[in-house]
This record gives sequence, structure tokens and C-alpha cells, in this order.
Amino acid sequence: MSEVILKETLLQLVNAWIAGGKVVSGPAFVKEGVCLYTDLRNAEHLAMDGFIRPGDSIKKYFFPRHEKIYHYARTGQKLELTNAELTPQERIIVGARPCDAALLPVLDKVFNWDYVDDFYTLRRKATTIVTIACTQWDDQCFCTSVDLSPAAEKGSDVLLLPMENGYEVRCLTDQGRALFAGKTTVSENAALSPEGPERKFTEEEIAAFLREGYENPVWRDIALRCLGCCACAFTCPTCHCFDIVDEGNAQGGSRAKNWDCCQFNMFTMHASGHNPRANQAQRQRQRIQHKFRIYPEKFGETLCTGCGNCTRNCPVSLGVLNTLEAIRACGTTANTVENTGGLKE
Amino acid sequence: MNNIYMPELMEVIGIQQHTADVKSVKIRFQDPTATDKFAFRVGQFGMFSAFGAGESTFNICSSSNWKDHIEFCFRKTGMVTEHLWQLDEGDAVGFRGPYGNSYPMEEWEGKNLIFIGGGIAMPPIRCAIWYALENRDKYGSISIVYGARTAADFVFADELDQWAQAERTRVVRCVDPGGETPDWKYEVGLIPHVIERANIPADNSIALVIGPPIMIKFTLPVLDKMGLDARDIYTSLENRMKCGVGKCGRCNCGPVYVCKEGPIFTLDQLNRLPLDY
Repeated sequence: MSEVILKETLLQLVNAWIAGGKVVSGPAFVKEGVCLYTDLRNAEHLAMDGFIRPGDSIKKYFFPRHEKIYHYARTGQKLELTNAELTPQERIIVGARPCDAALLPVLDKVFNWDYVDDFYTLRRKATTIVTIACTQWDDQCFCTSVDLSPAAEKGSDVLLLPMENGYEVRCLTDQGRALFAGKTTVSENAALSPEGPERKFTEEEIAAFLREGYENPVWRDIALRCLGCCACAFTCPTCHCFDIVDEGNAQGGSRAKNWDCCQFNMFTMHASGHNPRANQAQRQRQRIQHKFRIYPEKFGETLCTGCGNCTRNCPVSLGVLNTLEAIRACGTTANTVENTGGLKE
Repeated sequence: MNNIYMPELMEVIGIQQHTADVKSVKIRFQDPTATDKFAFRVGQFGMFSAFGAGESTFNICSSSNWKDHIEFCFRKTGMVTEHLWQLDEGDAVGFRGPYGNSYPMEEWEGKNLIFIGGGIAMPPIRCAIWYALENRDKYGSISIVYGARTAADFVFADELDQWAQAERTRVVRCVDPGGETPDWKYEVGLIPHVIERANIPADNSIALVIGPPIMIKFTLPVLDKMGLDARDIYTSLENRMKCGVGKCGRCNCGPVYVCKEGPIFTLDQLNRLPLDY
């Protein structure tokens, strides 16, 4: 026994949400062949097939790529600061992929430990996520290797599993139940659980390499290709590093939070000119270490959902998956000493 | 909403120029009630704003016993410090903090303290020196070794004389060879050599070493030879920061976020970190 909804009913529901004043976002083709998460005009705008997953991620709805955090104005020696009072719009994200929804429990950790970043948490509270399970995947997908799956429930309020003519509806939170209350019917049939891409590595395998292969020369080989453009991080659901900059002049302006990335040379450069991660090999290593060792050890979550966006968006087809495959291929025999600064020369 | 990135406004109440490009600034809260609520521990840092240029990370270089104001010290070297250099008394700056861990001043009670600083690294040591001198009975002998490139590069030089007057306190000043002036009456040489020559007693001691990476690299073997344990040698890391509260990812160095678990580490802890600092 399962709860189901017809595809037409779902689309009517989406229109009803939009008519009711909610902001509804979901995958949509912004131009031919380019599918991104977009605020939907109506249910027809929502892209249901013809793509593996959107080229960006839903993190932008919680952690925008540019955001003013307060304003300042000077008159003579007097300065005045005005808080950027955030009243987040209620938003429903429909058609999110499981590898996007899964970013929320992961990023909750970093934005809430000790100091609570309300810019993230208030948006998080105002958003309901209706995920649609994947029925297709490509060579870049590896959710099954990071303990997720095409039908993973992590982070979703509602999970829709495609079946003939419609979807099986699994409401996972009260927020989700409220959206679908009275809209579903009971059916004898349940959706088949999709199998997903073949498992390509285990997290333990990677963690073992990252502990032991710190100075492994494979980092140099990987990094030779990297252009340092950071397309991987900006389209990654879980990459969350940011910069804080002033926009304006000494008389007045705003302070803003912008996305930033560990692949940029300036990211870690000290005022003295000394740079702890001065070459691309160190920076590539940092990104992978952060995702598969540092973050899991600190927060208990892998900082990767296996979506494959890094590889799909990389101009030189580098990405987490082929980096990890290169790492696995070279074994864990190389330099095991972490504090020698081997890549520094 | 609670905005963790919102600074407090501070009023500049004093500026001291130490060298051609180093100044320290005294600031106090514009809101007097914030002064009463504010407390920090020596070794902690803050994010200081020059609005229009940005925010920079500096150690709070005043003693935590001074309740009415705090001080920070900087070298004019980039956009923010260029703006801070132009500050006048009465101007407003932004301050967020205090952040990070601090010197374990209670743990150090009963021990001899060896402070070793190079160049612009004096301010983060100065707060601990003043704190120790203000609680003089609680600590053993205090040795301060301070080296700079030239005789004109000493920061808080006037205070070195005051410290030298304090009981059971010794100040060793040195300049790099060639940096001395004709009337220079102190040591000439690099810090590691000067420490070796100075015969500083190392039993029951802790050392706080802050300076450029190259100075630290060559000073550590000397301290080791003197018999100091890696757990008794402290330093403060200088990783670049933006948020100061463990979000922005920038200061990450192996398993630690320097802004949260640092910036103060023992050599023993550093030995277990990758060299990302």
C-alpha cells in the first residue's frame, strides 16, 4: 500500500502553490540544453525529463552566491550600520534531485556549530523540498558511492518516486505532509526503487588513502590539468566557502558575502605574501581532504553527495569522481608523512 | 534576526605610530553598555573593519585586565590596513570578537615564561607580557627576546624599557646583522643565535614563539636543545580569515579551523597538523 499522485494532479498542485503566492522553484531549461534550478512561472515551466540533473544546485536558495549582510553610511566621523533584515520568502522546491536535497543536513552542521548563521537557517526554515527520485543517471553520477541513492530521503520533506502515470508520495516531515494532505490517493502498487549507478568506491577506502597518501605525487598529476576556475565548487551542492567584501566606498555601501573557493590562489594568501597552499596540487588536495576526511571527522557528514556536477561543469573534465579513481588506482603506498611539506617545493 | 557578521562600532581614542609602517590603535565601544558586557582572554583575536575597504584579523594586543579599551596593531600592507592607517582620533571602526582560543595563562602559573617575538609579532605577545606582569606573583622569571630587522623596526619599543624594569624580568633586544645603528647597545644577530647566547634557563618553562615562519623554523631546534618539551612551546597561527566563526572555510588547516580551535597551538599540536599554515 502506498500513497500516490497522478502527474497531472502534481502539476495542478504546483500551479496552485504558485497561485497561492508561494515561490516555487525547480529544474527548468533556461536555454536549449541548459537546465538550472529556476523560479517557476507555472507548472509547464518545470522540466520533468530530458536531463540527468540541473547544472547548478539548490544551495543557492539557502546560501546565495551574493548577499548583502549589512549596510554602512558615514557622515563626518559618525558611522551608522543597518542590519540587512532578512525575511525569507516561503519557497517550495519541486523536482529537486536527491543529491541536492541531501546537502541540507550536511550544511546545517557548519552553519549552526557554535555560531548560528541566520542567513542560512531562516531560509532553510522557510523552504520545503519536494524531491523527485532519479530514474536515469550518467557516468558522472556516484551517489551510491557516498551512501546515498537515486531515491535517498536525506534532506527532503517529500520524496516522489516515479511510477506509471504518476508518483508514489512519501511525506517525510510535517511540512511535507501539509503540502500533500488530501492530494494523494491510496494505491495497491508502489514504485520500484531505482538501483542507481554502480558503486565506484567506498568512503572507507578514500578515507584510508587520505590519511596515508597525504604527500602522494598523484596530487601533482591531478592538479596539472586544473585551471583553477572553481566551476566545480560553484556548482557543487555542498561547497560552502565564502568571502566577505565591502561594496561601496568609505562614505557608504554594503558588506557582502560572496561564494569563494579553495582552488583560487588568493584564497589563503597571507598579507605577508606567504601562501600556505601556494600551488594547485595543494589546493586540489585540500578540496578532496575537506570533503572526505576533514568535514566527516569534524561534523560526521561527507561533504559530497555524488551528484557529479564538478565533472560535468569542469572545462577539463576533472572532478571528485575521477580524482578519487586516480587516487584509488595509485594505492596507498607513497609517502605517509603528513608534516614534511612535500608538495611545497 | 541575529547577524553574527555585524560588528560593534568602536571609537578611536588613541593612535601610536611605531615604525615607518606600523601603528597601534586604541579603541573603545561607542555604546558604554557594550564595554561592561565585553570580556576577552589574552591571545584571542578580533575582526577589525575599515568600512569601504573590508575587514582584517588582528590579535587584541592589550591586556584583558584593561577594561575601558582594547588595542590592535597592524602593518600597512594592503587595502584594509591602508584605510586603517588614515584613521584619526574620534573616527569609527568596526569590531567583531573576541574569537578563537587563548593563552592558557592559568596553566602557565608557577612557570618561567620565555617570550620570543620577531618584528610585527610583538603585539600578540605583548598582551600576554602585560597580563603576566600585572599578575607578577603568579609567574616565575620572565624572559623577553625580541628581534627586528633594523633598530627602527621595533614595535612597542617604549614598553620594552618598562618591562626591563619589572622584577625578575629580562629583556633581550636584537637586530639582524646590518640592522644596527652606531649607537645600538643591544644584541646583533638572528633570534635563534641570540637565544643560544643568552643562556635563558629552560627548566620549568614555557615558551611563546611568534614571528615569521622562517624565524619559527630555526628557533624551534634551539628550544628543543634547551630542553623544552613540544607541549610547552606555543605559537599563534596567522591563517587568513574572513568570518572568524568557523563558517567560511578559509583558515582550515587539516583537522582544525584555526579561527575556532586556534589560533594558539602548541608545537606538539602543530607537529600533528599538515603544513597548511
